[in-house]
Amino acid sequence: MKRLFGVAFVAGLLVVALATTFWPLPKHLRYRSLITVLPDGGRQEDFMVRWPEDRIRLPDKERSGRPAVAAIGVAVLEDSAGRRASAELFRLRDTEDNIIGVASRVAGTGGAIADPGRSASNWLLVIPSRGALFLAQTDVLDTTVREQITADGNVAVPPAQAAAFWTDRSRFRVTATNPATTGSATTGKVLRGTSEFAGLKGSFTETLDLEEVNADGSTRGRILLSTLTAVGN
Amino acid sequence: MRALVGVLGLLLGILVGACLVLANPLAWFNGLPPLPAELAPVKAYRSDDYRGIEAGVAALLGVGRRDRNVALMDPALPHVRIGIVVLPAGEGMPAALAVKVSAIAEENSLWRAQLGTHDYWNIFWPGEGSVFASGYSNFWGVTRDAFFAAARGGDQEFVATEWPVSALSPLGAWTGVTGAAGRYAGFTGEIRELLYPAPPDSTKKGPDWGIALKVNPPPVTPH
Repeated sequence: MKRLFGVAFVAGLLVVALATTFWPLPKHLRYRSLITVLPDGGRQEDFMVRWPEDRIRLPDKERSGRPAVAAIGVAVLEDSAGRRASAELFRLRDTEDNIIGVASRVAGTGGAIADPGRSASNWLLVIPSRGALFLAQTDVLDTTVREQITADGNVAVPPAQAAAFWTDRSRFRVTATNPATTGSATTGKVLRGTSEFAGLKGSFTETLDLEEVNADGSTRGRILLSTLTAVGN
Repeated sequence: MRALVGVLGLLLGILVGACLVLANPLAWFNGLPPLPAELAPVKAYRSDDYRGIEAGVAALLGVGRRDRNVALMDPALPHVRIGIVVLPAGEGMPAALAVKVSAIAEENSLWRAQLGTHDYWNIFWPGEGSVFASGYSNFWGVTRDAFFAAARGGDQEFVATEWPVSALSPLGAWTGVTGAAGRYAGFTGEIRELLYPAPPDSTKKGPDWGIALKVNPPPVTPH
């Protein structure tokens, strides 16, 4: 009986050792990287976000009666001096329209960040199987999301999601071509990458393309993030 | 009787084996030292506004049930969590709006006591500036303490009041803070994260996470 107990005990230890060795820990699905190697050095990789369908809705923020131009899954923080920051969450696509990761756009105004009427914005791109990219830019205008008071409470309205933004254009470059006169932000910069993107630096541009204006005043379109990076650039 | 002895021996072997694996001393060596509280005070916050995985052992092991209301159902995103956080004002800093993204680390290893997520932050102080941060959170200590508490019949006496989860990246890769905009552009620094356990008999929702950042301005180059 003692021997049986001892053998079973060792078998138990073995079960744990095998489980520890062969347990199938989570892996991320990886799509083929769509990178263009440029003839004069560096690499170009474009990412895409479709609005409004790629917005990530936060669970407790869904409610009916919301205006069509309002966005879900957006947060706005504004201080008493009117200095504002807004955060938007998206799914991130490659140029073949595969959803490859998540992205956030956080924009802010005021004080040390940007000139009056402008904002500075940061994009955090996370592709779970490859790593993350940190992007920062000065915007040509204030792109922060505003909160509007409606009968159903506060709603967040991103400027480009309303038809009024697109009266005289169907394409809009968000990234400023000149640095702000105050503050330290610049034209689009790839500040840093992690994991597979480690060591990469460079530039990027954010461009909005309008695809459709709906009868209710809302819009559909895509945000194109075009990155140009090189190792230790 | 023989079968009972065999089953008892097997269960005891599994229990002892699990204890030995969880007590892996590497978990202590992997952790990063805390930042000085006077330089980097901890900001406690609640992480309620998120989509994706729960920050729990089941999700890290890939066995968690996916709540369709919260989970990201896209094929590339089942092991990702993204959320918006408001970091409270205090210690001379205004409130900040932040986004935190966590992705389960593919490099996790049960033999090396690594069961964690790669975490990415973008924190924006209105009118002040913004930073990005990257870190690795290892939940091995949380798992170990929860297991031993359960093995003692749910005894919470020995469960820590906070777990410093920031650890060395299994990739050996860079972790830290990169200044992005405003007065923090060009800054570099370090990040630490803490997880606070929920009191078992408490109905009040307190902060469940803490973050501490220590940043330094860029070096001044002489002309």
